[in-house]
Amino acid sequence: MKIAFTLNGNPVEVEAPANITLLHLLREHLGLTGSKPGCEVGECGACSIILDGRVVNSCQLLVPQVDGREVITIEGIGDAGGGPSDLQLAFLEFGAVQCGYCTPGMVVAAEAFLARQPNPTREEIRVAISGNLCRCTGYQQIVDAIEATATRRQSQAEGRRP
Amino acid sequence: MTQRTYVGRSADAVDGLDKIRGQAKFVGDYQLPHMLHAKVLRSPVPHARIVHLDVTPALAVPGVVAAITSEDFVDHGLWGWPVKDQYILAYRKVLYVGHGIAAVAAETPEAARAGVEAIQFELEDLPAVFDPQAALAPDAPQVPLESPTGQGNLCEKIIVRYGEPDPILQESPVLYQETFHTGRQEHAYLEPEAALAIPQPDGSVTIHYNGQSPFINQNHMTQVLGLPAEKVRIIQPVVGGSFGGKDDLGYQTSGQVAGLALKAGRPVKLVLGREESMMASYKREPMTIGFRLGADAEGNLQAAKVEMLADSGCFSSQSTLAMLRASLHAAGAYRYRAVHVDTQAVYTNNGFCGAFRGFGNTDAAAAIEQAIDDLAHRLGRDPLDFRLQNCVRQGDRFMSGNVVDHEVKLAECLQWVREKSDWDRKRTAFEASPSDDVRRGIGVACYMHGSSLGGEGADYANATLQIENDYGITLTSGLTDYGQGSRTVFTLIAAETLGVSPERIHMLRPDTDTAIESGPTVASRSTMLGGNATRVAAEKLDRLLRYAAAGILACAPAQVARHGEVYVNPDEDEASFKEVVDRAREMGLTLSVQGKWSMPHIEWHVETGTGTPYYCYTFGAQVAEIEVDTRIGQVRVLKVWAAHDGGTIVFPQGAYGQMYGGIAQGLGYGLLEEMTYQHGYPQALNYDEYLIPTSLDVPDIEATYIETEFPEGPYGAKNLAEPVLVATAPAIANAVFHATGVRHYTLPLTLERVLLGHDLRSNRGETACRRALGFEPAGVEVIWQT
Repeated sequence: MKIAFTLNGNPVEVEAPANITLLHLLREHLGLTGSKPGCEVGECGACSIILDGRVVNSCQLLVPQVDGREVITIEGIGDAGGGPSDLQLAFLEFGAVQCGYCTPGMVVAAEAFLARQPNPTREEIRVAISGNLCRCTGYQQIVDAIEATATRRQSQAEGRRP
Repeated sequence: MTQRTYVGRSADAVDGLDKIRGQAKFVGDYQLPHMLHAKVLRSPVPHARIVHLDVTPALAVPGVVAAITSEDFVDHGLWGWPVKDQYILAYRKVLYVGHGIAAVAAETPEAARAGVEAIQFELEDLPAVFDPQAALAPDAPQVPLESPTGQGNLCEKIIVRYGEPDPILQESPVLYQETFHTGRQEHAYLEPEAALAIPQPDGSVTIHYNGQSPFINQNHMTQVLGLPAEKVRIIQPVVGGSFGGKDDLGYQTSGQVAGLALKAGRPVKLVLGREESMMASYKREPMTIGFRLGADAEGNLQAAKVEMLADSGCFSSQSTLAMLRASLHAAGAYRYRAVHVDTQAVYTNNGFCGAFRGFGNTDAAAAIEQAIDDLAHRLGRDPLDFRLQNCVRQGDRFMSGNVVDHEVKLAECLQWVREKSDWDRKRTAFEASPSDDVRRGIGVACYMHGSSLGGEGADYANATLQIENDYGITLTSGLTDYGQGSRTVFTLIAAETLGVSPERIHMLRPDTDTAIESGPTVASRSTMLGGNATRVAAEKLDRLLRYAAAGILACAPAQVARHGEVYVNPDEDEASFKEVVDRAREMGLTLSVQGKWSMPHIEWHVETGTGTPYYCYTFGAQVAEIEVDTRIGQVRVLKVWAAHDGGTIVFPQGAYGQMYGGIAQGLGYGLLEEMTYQHGYPQALNYDEYLIPTSLDVPDIEATYIETEFPEGPYGAKNLAEPVLVATAPAIANAVFHATGVRHYTLPLTLERVLLGHDLRSNRGETACRRALGFEPAGVEVIWQT
């Protein structure tokens, strides 16, 4: 069937079978391999994408469900100039990346969360990423990176106010 | 202390940028023209004779290009190290649920699946054995085709003999005797196993496999494929976590894709699904560990006798070496007058077990650290004081009888966690309200961990450095980075030694065509071995450059000083890095060097159980504060304090990441994680059933590295990746004991164990495993004989 949706800010129209998941569509049909299959039962979060502003496991969405909607993947996250976002750079700065397999999903979940809650507590950050499993880091530096980004964005926003 | 520019300073992981942007390519992401997709037929039963196996019907399925069995490999694909007891695909028997029987390559994953379903085979069930103790009975069904010890299911027997503990135990006024059980832990790396094999026109094959030790993979592949080493090239891709877990199944997988690719003449990719991975992959050995500990009236430990039994599952894998390490750490980091350890690893039909971070010491430390705590309690002693009284110090003997000849800061680690955790106040305060439903507890554990391979094998690593035409520097190592950060560590060491910016250095991933063999990437040995090899190579290159600089600056090489990338003579004349490199080339110098470093020689005698098992050790201590809801049996970890003596820390963010991640895995081992088997069927197949810690389970951790003098290490660095995990589970268990007054003697401390004192048995089994392996719905031709 024909599916039309917005992908990382651009309208796309693809011909795809209706019985495949969005994760499969992204990886096998659209060549976007940043979203990772980790469990394919909606438990690990490695395939997290943002659907109309909400974090969703793309392995749990069938393709027809995204018709007409807005999808953001890890490939659509970055700064205005096409470089990494401040959050992504904070992941590096705080050592929040080890093997990197959960990282795209973790970044996606964190960006969506910060858009909704720009001034979170550490506990709120832990709740926000609790759907994203990481086996390497013990989460601490990931929480550090998200927390620092929130603080920096807050102070930038305050600096911009008259 | 020496001022360093890069070592020990904040740095970005060298592969971090690709990873944060989702651009790092894992094997599952690879797409090649004409690439085929593979699928493996796996056993739905724990032990059976292969009566009939015919893959020709698979070849009739549209899209199927090739199919293989054990017949397609040299010597039926027999391989294994240190015990040769595995086949690339099952030969004559299947030994566990998930055991690969045959493999198919097809144009699409769907066609490959249909091909597997078309394979005709007949399995005749054999009596199976699931209890390691029962497996040792003379009339138990034998699991391996041939017993490596000639004693049925006995896979390996290991002894440690230091003094004579029996007479000391007989005289000891305090005798402690208990038995502990540890759980079978799944590695649960987020990226499942995946391999891609590409056949080349000259009959060679290139394999991309997401494992740990490409040169070991190459050795196995040359044997089973019957190819010379130069015709098997292994390229290390980005690896999505391993923790010891992607070796043996990976060699099977590599052999399967290589066999298919050579047969089909086209690239073949195999990516395991999570259920398939959890069924087929190896785990941490579950162990039963019995102690007899003797102490004098003042609470000084005197002697220990330890008996250990490990379930190795159906293959030896790395269990024998892991059990050697378990045996060499069995009585812990304490001073004794005599210690005997007797360990047996046993074959069963419960999947298989092998290497997992900590490699035997995770299990051993979990047991001895609970035993020591228990003993301290029975003596009415504070468990931290008791450890300080008995822990090894420089000049003492380790439990294996060898002298502690390096600096030990174990006591300092214990003191650090004591102060930071407010131990003394909390130990008393938490005991004040023992009748509350929700109770707090605080517990401690400490450890030693023998560095690198020790008595397990030859211990060396190689590195190369080459200055390229664009003045960039290429660095190679035979050791891999599967997420632990060793590429960044090696880059920082090379930059420090050469005085160049880390950005100038480009560290390649290992490739058996370009890197030099360096032994396995295991045993937390990368920083010490690979780091030293990098340092040696960089020192060679530095000497060449200084020689060239002396030519430009008209002084003796010894007079050349370096300020960053600028070379300076005593008159303060300067030459840039580029000028120096150009001069070196004009002089005809070869700006390509190799460095090798080997651990100083030690000898451990397996026959007598005596000697020096490791050249050096690391040490550490952790405290866990927990809360138990006694109404439901739930344990919440509120905070962990951790101190590790790791020598110099080269890459701080990476080192702390190892610490936090190790503690999270230890928390899982202590509270949540156990892959149980019922009649050979694993009871969990995905993350919805096998629970690993989430961001809500792992608390904030306060950690430190207490630096010790270790002149042999690169810039004084020791190792840390594994040891930082081993104290967490026992510290939590000891905290639960402190909170509840109940000692469970079994890990993990699941809800039902804490609440009821025993397990609730689930009945997951054949049906779920068969469905996950694709045997239902019907349409598969299986002829059952029961």
